[in-house]
Amino acid sequence: MANTLAERAPLPRFFSRGALALVLGIYTFYTLGPFLWLATMSVRTTAEISTDHYAFPKVFHWEQFRIAWVDSDFATYFWNSTIVVASAVAVVTLFGAAAAHALARYRFRGNRLVYGILFSSIIFPPQITLISLYQILVDYNLYNSLLGLTLVYVSLQLPLTVYLLEGFFARIPQDLFDAAKIDGYGDLEIFRRIVLPIGMPAIATTLILNFIQLWNEFLFAVVLITDPDKRTLPVGIRAFMGDHFQDIGMIATGVMISVIPVIIVYIFFSEKLIRGMTAGAIK
Amino acid sequence: MTTTSMSSKASEGASNASSLADPRRASWWVLVVFLFPALAIYVGLTAYPAFRTFYDSFFTIEGLDATFVGLDNYRALMSDETFWISVRNTFIWSFIAPVLDVTTGLLLALALYAGVPFARFLRVAWFTPVLLSYVVVAILWTWIYNYDWGVVNLALRAIGLDALVTSWLGDPHFALAALIVTHAWKWAGFNMVVCLAAIHSLPSEVLEASELDNCGWGAKLRYVIVPMLRPTLLNLYILAFIGKMKIFDLVWIMTQGGPLWATETVSTYVYKRAFNWNTFDLGYPSAIASVWFVVVCAAVVILNRLLATRERLEY
Repeated sequence: MANTLAERAPLPRFFSRGALALVLGIYTFYTLGPFLWLATMSVRTTAEISTDHYAFPKVFHWEQFRIAWVDSDFATYFWNSTIVVASAVAVVTLFGAAAAHALARYRFRGNRLVYGILFSSIIFPPQITLISLYQILVDYNLYNSLLGLTLVYVSLQLPLTVYLLEGFFARIPQDLFDAAKIDGYGDLEIFRRIVLPIGMPAIATTLILNFIQLWNEFLFAVVLITDPDKRTLPVGIRAFMGDHFQDIGMIATGVMISVIPVIIVYIFFSEKLIRGMTAGAIK
Repeated sequence: MTTTSMSSKASEGASNASSLADPRRASWWVLVVFLFPALAIYVGLTAYPAFRTFYDSFFTIEGLDATFVGLDNYRALMSDETFWISVRNTFIWSFIAPVLDVTTGLLLALALYAGVPFARFLRVAWFTPVLLSYVVVAILWTWIYNYDWGVVNLALRAIGLDALVTSWLGDPHFALAALIVTHAWKWAGFNMVVCLAAIHSLPSEVLEASELDNCGWGAKLRYVIVPMLRPTLLNLYILAFIGKMKIFDLVWIMTQGGPLWATETVSTYVYKRAFNWNTFDLGYPSAIASVWFVVVCAAVVILNRLLATRERLEY
């Protein structure tokens, strides 16, 4: 929209082009460098890394990934993360979309109150629920269970999901709903056959955003899961690092395994992801 | 605004089709079907636990035994030096770090806005750290700060500043600063994207007018762009502030609050008291969590008032 203006806008005069390019180059190296370094280390053995931490791999030891996957239990952690995150994201999207639809579409006493209540927990420091959630999950035999963690994850992402979807659903024109009512659609059909398809762009954004945030979640996982078989990737990597902090090559490979899904999602959905992450902050 | 048109429509149609009276009205069971799952999750896994933590803070809880101790936990908290150190560290972090994050973000956004080459690539590259989990960031930066082979010390040695070589995470003077830098590395890209979107949505007439007036970049930045971005920048500051009040993962993995409590934050201290030290008491950490909950909520309200953005606080 304002791109034409941006392209015409002259570069700052107080910077020569060369100096500016240098500064930006250094900053880019600063953001990407650690990541590229990680990538080289993930295909080098720890022995190779110890001799020179910054050399480019001479031989690409792809077997590092097999060893990490099979012998170092990263496969277990990976699948645990996948199961927990996929189910939590599916449930939170469905529940969140339903609530967002009701709040955006229907007028009833206490509408804004319910919205405020659901939304306000976004500022809660996690400790206010963490200690009790531990007790509650122990009480209901859900401690150290992937189901328990999934439920907690649903509750963690619910406020953001409702917030993003409510904003989007509220902009769907009322005429569509009136027309659907006249055609004899019931309330559930309206939700399933109008709101969900039309809201797909927003729903996709929340899906991706929730996936990334939960895939990276650490605090609740480390408290609610102690059983090594049930660790999620962040907890698994952290535990591996605690036990083998000298084994840099294998840690790097494990970290790489956790980063790859995020990078894939980012490559395909960068616009949607950025829009979701920044939706609340942009006015 | 649609209210009036709708109510008039409703009164017209009331005679022939009462079900269409007000299309925005729903029968109670429809509301229950749509709202119940979300509310049940909220009540069961957010409201009840929050209430229970508050309630627990009046007890000493060892396993299944809960002993009522009244305000003892809160009294103990007042004289708990480690708690106050953690509060101080968290506040230092919360007030200083957002300035760093937002300023870097704004500068990067301005560079992109000014039309540097490869802007698309740079935008993606600069945003990448935002996506990495704290575990990944923490591990990477623990290596970067490594005394023997970390890149920071290698660079210092390479340019002959051997005197400055230090164990960044092991020295109480530098550990907190080192963590703040790492955190800024992760979040600058987020602030950049938000600033960029805000700059692009500024009314182009104003910018064009300033260009017609031969306004230089420095002046344009100072008198046009920054004042117009004020609400966005303040919003970002508050967001970053809230984020820092909750900071846990990065600290826990990089330093565990050490050395000598130099990086202890309220979050890590609660975690230590509840799950890490073998004190076997959940009452005391509940009291810390309750106090901190009140502090965070109060800070958000006060900041919103002080900065008077007159905008809803979001995310």
